[in-house]
Amino acid sequence: MPLAMLKPGETACIKKINGGRTAKGKLTDLGFVSGKTVKIHRSSGGPLIVGLGDNRVALGRGMAHKVIVETKGCEN
Amino acid sequence: MALNKTKRKNNELKVALAGNPNSGKTTMFNELTGSRQHVGNWPGVTVEKKTGRASYQNYSLEVIDLPGTYSLGAYSEDEVVARDFLTTGDYDVVLNIINSSNLDRNLYFTVQLLEMGVDLIAVLNMADEAEKKGIKIDKEKIGQLLGTPVVETVASKGRGIDSLLAETVQHRDLSEAALKIDYGSEVEDLISEVVSMLKEFDFTSQINQRWAAVKLIEHDPEAVKLLEREVGVSKAKKIKSLIAERELKAEDDFDNIIIDKKYEFINKVISESVQRPAADQEPENVSDKIDAIVTNKYLGIPIFMAVMWGIFKFTFTLGDPLIGYIEAFFEAAGGWLGGLLVGAGISPLITSFITDGIIGGVGSVLVFIPNIFLLFLAIGILEDSGYMSRAAYVMDKVMSKLGLHGKSFIPMIVGFGCNVPGVMATRTLDSKRDRIISILINPLMSCSARLPVYVVFAGALFPNHASTVVFSLYALGIVMAVIMAGIFNKILFKGERSHFVMELPPYRFPTLKGVFIHMWEKVGAFIKKAGTIIFAVVVLIWVLANLPLGAEYASAQSLIGQFGQLMAPIFEPLGFGSWQAASSLVFGILAKEVVVGTLGVVYAAGEGGLRAALTANFSPLAAYSFLTMVLLYTPCIATLGAIKSETQSWKWPIITASYLFVLAWLVSFVIYQGGMLLGIGV
Repeated sequence: MPLAMLKPGETACIKKINGGRTAKGKLTDLGFVSGKTVKIHRSSGGPLIVGLGDNRVALGRGMAHKVIVETKGCEN
Repeated sequence: MALNKTKRKNNELKVALAGNPNSGKTTMFNELTGSRQHVGNWPGVTVEKKTGRASYQNYSLEVIDLPGTYSLGAYSEDEVVARDFLTTGDYDVVLNIINSSNLDRNLYFTVQLLEMGVDLIAVLNMADEAEKKGIKIDKEKIGQLLGTPVVETVASKGRGIDSLLAETVQHRDLSEAALKIDYGSEVEDLISEVVSMLKEFDFTSQINQRWAAVKLIEHDPEAVKLLEREVGVSKAKKIKSLIAERELKAEDDFDNIIIDKKYEFINKVISESVQRPAADQEPENVSDKIDAIVTNKYLGIPIFMAVMWGIFKFTFTLGDPLIGYIEAFFEAAGGWLGGLLVGAGISPLITSFITDGIIGGVGSVLVFIPNIFLLFLAIGILEDSGYMSRAAYVMDKVMSKLGLHGKSFIPMIVGFGCNVPGVMATRTLDSKRDRIISILINPLMSCSARLPVYVVFAGALFPNHASTVVFSLYALGIVMAVIMAGIFNKILFKGERSHFVMELPPYRFPTLKGVFIHMWEKVGAFIKKAGTIIFAVVVLIWVLANLPLGAEYASAQSLIGQFGQLMAPIFEPLGFGSWQAASSLVFGILAKEVVVGTLGVVYAAGEGGLRAALTANFSPLAAYSFLTMVLLYTPCIATLGAIKSETQSWKWPIITASYLFVLAWLVSFVIYQGGMLLGIGV
């Protein structure tokens, strides 16, 4: 499911990044890559704040729909 | 392997600092060169490359600070500056500044540089923060795995700088082989085929051919352009169709595979060389706790407003008594000097030049040093703390209604200091449309040069509500910016949505040194401006006030008086049709402080200084209408120049200058005529 669907406090494992070259490139640059764990810190209508390890990233809703995650979490 | 490396003397070295935003490049640059470049805690502080010099032993180093970038993808102008320099620039070695407590993402950029074959030193900066988090890095191991020297530093405390310099001068002419990452058989087979085609087609570019092949497989537009230039469109097409053909058969897109393999490699490097404490995933840290409040859905915008209000209250309450002292000083100095000069038999003309022209004009601007000082102290604290990107986040909701996103708000905040860096800060926006709209509305952010005008009028005509009046002007500027952005969004461009992703760096306690450097720099610039352009304009106005010969000083018959009378009818319906007001506005386009300087010169003859003259010549309503005009009308020439150079066209500065004049006129008209009808402040 897309990252945008998660609720605050939930963690998930990134499976895939969709989108065009720029969107995908910018997400990858900030560390959105498959196999990484993300945590939702804030999601209330507007942009999200997510945690990738120690980093905090603000993410527009549109972009958050391009990040496909699985709630089971990452293997390691 | 810089492509355009020029020959240098043996003891000369050109060194570039590159790395992710907020990894401490500019702090390192300042440490190495003794410069005082602006450091801030938000991504995008440095938007152009800066040069400085350093020396070590008998070596002379030219150091270049590049804008921060997460990769060589170059999605925005500032990143293009860094990418272009790294791929085609003239340098000997890159100091890749890495945030030690954030290795995996920082190494993603390092790996890209190494694959390209760049000679680099991996600088594990902010080593103290990593230590604090319990991260242990085996730097020999990392160096071995990456095939590059590694140095540990703490730039903010000057730690490790010597070993870094030692490594840098040793590193000269040490061309290593480019890093090779195994992309798996499918991609590797294709890479070797593309490489052999590149050889066959005589792809003579000095670029590492394997790297070029990888870039082509990733469909990098720059690489494709380079290929087409080098081998011609038809041969380039052969390579492109080979790649497309393979991609159809492949399970996943090649660019996905390449990204994944890169991160796989990085993870391997990290797992072999870094020990992290086995804590729970992402414990809540202080930054998260602050963010829980300041980015709250309901509290976010009120908190932002409160922060802005706090800044102005601070600038005023503390600044006002100080202004009084300086004003008294200049008045006394003018009187004393005037008496002295007349007593010494100096011609009245020269006496008038010094007392009316220089002290009345430049002095009336310099009076505001305390405000400028305090404003930039507050802005410095704001910038260093990390709140900037939170403000951008909070404002995203408003901005997205205008078709912009939160990141576009950062140039607006920068504009509160000065619109020139504000306009330049739009480089961090990745869509052309967002950039143009942000540039067009930036002058509506009330800059520090307009502050003296507000303060002098507010002090004279609204002594009991000075800070409220000034704050209302700043707020009016923001409201107008929002309205205009909405209008431009509708009429200028369609489509082209941009992507909002922005790092929220951890909060930091602003350092005294950092804030003071920033503040001194700005106050110094203000004094310099007062001594150069403002001085020159004031002299010009004084001359115009004395000509033609025989005309009474600063009267309606003087040249400035005649000129002002010519312009005055334009402003008549706005409540300030005097020639003094009209000429101050016209000359104010040269620099906004000049509005005060001009009024200082032309009203200098009056008793009780400028404030008394303003009280006598403006009603409160007319004054507010005048201030609205100053807030909104045509930006200063420096800003227009910045717009010209950032947009590479005359079209945008002309549009900005004209729409703002019309807007200012209309809003002032509504305020003045509305006020007249309602009988407020008449």
